[in-house]
Amino acid sequence: MSSTAMKKKVLLMGKSGSGKTSMRSIIFANYIARDTRRLGATIDVEHSHVRFLGNLVLNLWDCGGQDTFMENYFTSQRDNIFRNVEVLIYVFDVESRELEKDMHYYQSCLEAILQNSPDAKVFCLVHKMDLVQEDQRDLIFKEREEDLRRLSRPLSCTCFRTSIWDETLYKAWSSIVYQLIPNVQQLETNLRNFAQIIEADEVLLFERATFLVISHYQCKEQRDAHRFEKISNIIKQFKLSCSKLAASFQSMEVRNSNFAAFIDVFTSNTYVMVIMSDPSIPSAATLINIRNARKHFEKLERVDGPKHSLHMRMR
Amino acid sequence: MDDDWKPLLSSEQTCESNCQRDSTDCLDSKTKRQVYAHYEPLHIMPRNIVKDDPQEKVSSEASILNSRVHYYGRLTGSSDRLLSPPDHVIPQPEDIYIYSPLGTAFKVKGGEGASKNPSIVTIFAIWNTMMGTSILSIPWGIKQAGFTLGVLILSAMGLLTLYCCYRVLKSPKSIPYIDTSDWEFPDVCKYYFGKFGQLSSLVFSTVSLIGAMVVYWVLMSNFLYNTGKFVYNYEHNISDPEFGTNISVICPYQSHNKTMELGISSNNDTSDALFDFWWSKTNTIPFYLIILLLPLLNFRSASFFARFTFLGTISVMYLIFLVTWKAIQLGFHLEFHWFHSNQFFVAEFRALFPQLTGVLTLAFFIHNCIITLMKNNRHQENNIRDLSVAYLLVGLTYLYVGVLIFAAFPSPPFSKDCIEPNFLDNFPSSDILVFIARACLLFQMTSVYPLLGYLARVQIMGYLFGNHYPSFFHVITLNIFVVAAGVLMARFYPDIGSIIRYSGATCGLALVFIFPALVHMISLKRQGELKWPSALFHSLLILLGIANLLGQFFM
Repeated sequence: MSSTAMKKKVLLMGKSGSGKTSMRSIIFANYIARDTRRLGATIDVEHSHVRFLGNLVLNLWDCGGQDTFMENYFTSQRDNIFRNVEVLIYVFDVESRELEKDMHYYQSCLEAILQNSPDAKVFCLVHKMDLVQEDQRDLIFKEREEDLRRLSRPLSCTCFRTSIWDETLYKAWSSIVYQLIPNVQQLETNLRNFAQIIEADEVLLFERATFLVISHYQCKEQRDAHRFEKISNIIKQFKLSCSKLAASFQSMEVRNSNFAAFIDVFTSNTYVMVIMSDPSIPSAATLINIRNARKHFEKLERVDGPKHSLHMRMR
Repeated sequence: MDDDWKPLLSSEQTCESNCQRDSTDCLDSKTKRQVYAHYEPLHIMPRNIVKDDPQEKVSSEASILNSRVHYYGRLTGSSDRLLSPPDHVIPQPEDIYIYSPLGTAFKVKGGEGASKNPSIVTIFAIWNTMMGTSILSIPWGIKQAGFTLGVLILSAMGLLTLYCCYRVLKSPKSIPYIDTSDWEFPDVCKYYFGKFGQLSSLVFSTVSLIGAMVVYWVLMSNFLYNTGKFVYNYEHNISDPEFGTNISVICPYQSHNKTMELGISSNNDTSDALFDFWWSKTNTIPFYLIILLLPLLNFRSASFFARFTFLGTISVMYLIFLVTWKAIQLGFHLEFHWFHSNQFFVAEFRALFPQLTGVLTLAFFIHNCIITLMKNNRHQENNIRDLSVAYLLVGLTYLYVGVLIFAAFPSPPFSKDCIEPNFLDNFPSSDILVFIARACLLFQMTSVYPLLGYLARVQIMGYLFGNHYPSFFHVITLNIFVVAAGVLMARFYPDIGSIIRYSGATCGLALVFIFPALVHMISLKRQGELKWPSALFHSLLILLGIANLLGQFFM
């Protein structure tokens, strides 16, 4: 049953209309074409062949909406869907009027996961939180989190509250990715050393497909707390433009009299962004430093390869 | 373009400045959601960003929201509202500033909230629009159905049409992913049923307009005739020979035959005969009206006539006063015979009740413009409540007029069966209060008729030629047809009760019963939430609409 050869899956599941397609589109910078607007529940799974964290394929499923589909999923297709799952991300619409039904579907999914991919990590996103009044958000989220934790036993789930209209979505997915990167703490220590050595103001490590910030180092306080998301949005827009020309984005350098920023491919799963506030350091120097660091970090990733990470994930 | 960059770049602000510049570049007149710089909680003074003033930062909240809006905009089609910021996320209009690329920041003027109406105004607008000439036919309708059954049917139809109106109002909201904020009901029909839906809803809407215009022509001929007669008799100090001076109510059709016999023998005043020849309700007046009204129909814009809508309110108010006065004068004459009519009274439950339902369908008809009327309601969440209150007021007005006229009609000398489809016909032309009512209504109708003509022209020309005023020739042809229909009806079949009930049942079939129910059922089915009680109820509604129309022909 060892499945390192087969593609592992990230399942993005939730009731029809809970916001999965929008979420997928925003995180992965997929254009939502007009014809994928659905007038009813999704009939089939939506595959997204995005190389997420190296080897993972994103599968998007609708749960519920029409009971006949549920029977279909959970009898004939069940094993197919839930085998080889690395991550299950389940989306709940906070405004849903059918809480019982939602929980019921969620539990069915968990049962299937327990049977087919017991090592999978489970994340629950309580979505569309912008529709809840600000003073009630914490309360409502806490309630839901307790219910979900209780229902998920013996598996443990991590809950986030999200909305596409504030920073919570980006932060939640960044946390998810953080937990999925093998030996991420080691990466962080090395990143700090790297930054100190090259005298950078700030160094960011992004996941390759989604530009979610995995880890960062800053040598002094920065004013804009939302800069990660902004950079991610900017680069994703640039990638969209590039794709129109069938070109792919590889690296970028931005420089003016006050700073120089370098964005470049780093390891197989990551991009790095280095910001130098000393403009007198020539670009070439920084680029050489990044290249050398790359070799080091790749070694880190290879040494603690998939096997090791499997061990780490077993409870 | 490059020159524009220099003034904007300042010490650390490149990122934020980029954001603002980009946002003004995508200034979209439809949504100002894509254009804003900051909002109140983290305050910035509007100032010149070209000069080197120590620049305060744009709040990080504002600039990250700006970045999101800009990014999400790249992910969907421009008319797709899937990732469009909802109202509670974007700042208030008062807090939105637009930065011009080279100069100062200025505030967005007003906002949509400024022009909204309070509930009272919306309710009044709905009441005013619904109150049409069908108020004149309500007593006749109650007579046709029987008093008790008539009152019951009036309440039931009010509730039924209110529910269908509620469905019409809700229909654009349940369409996913598209911006339906400026859609009217025909657009919704087009979305669900394609070209056929758009065409049929347009056709039925036009039927109601043309029907109203024909009724107006008949009534205007009627009122002009009576007004002229009153003035003539007043001038010549004649009192109506056949009616005497003390009769307050007449039965025109019973006495009409008598007049025919009398006329030949008694009246030898040639000037009177000449007047009666040239001033005839059905023979000549409909043609005189052409001279007055056909030119008015050819105006390019109807906004001049829209100023006179207050006349309608005054007319209805006066009618209510008139009805109350007559009821006090005549007293109540009610006797309850349940199933059989006798010489003076009609049964309480009669088989002719479909005629009342036909009249009421047009009386409660506002479904083709309710969305537009409700759009400017300040508190949109109160829409249903306001609509219900408006329908209640309309129903009470109709009930009041209908019941009082019916009850006050003096039955011992006359039979209730005498009540005319236009209840003002039951009063002689010498009655001064009724003369005022007729003159008021005449004036009001003369001002509304061109408005109706304009609406019909916009719909027909807009659909056929895409242009509201393709050429003078097209417009005059349409107007001649419409006027000819009115003249012919007034000449040969001036029975407004029939015209109202046929046109009411026809346009009501599509726009009140079938389309709203079908649209609701289809949208529920697409969401997978159609339950059988709901499907059953809405199918029954459709059957009721069909039965309503068939009943007009068979009863």
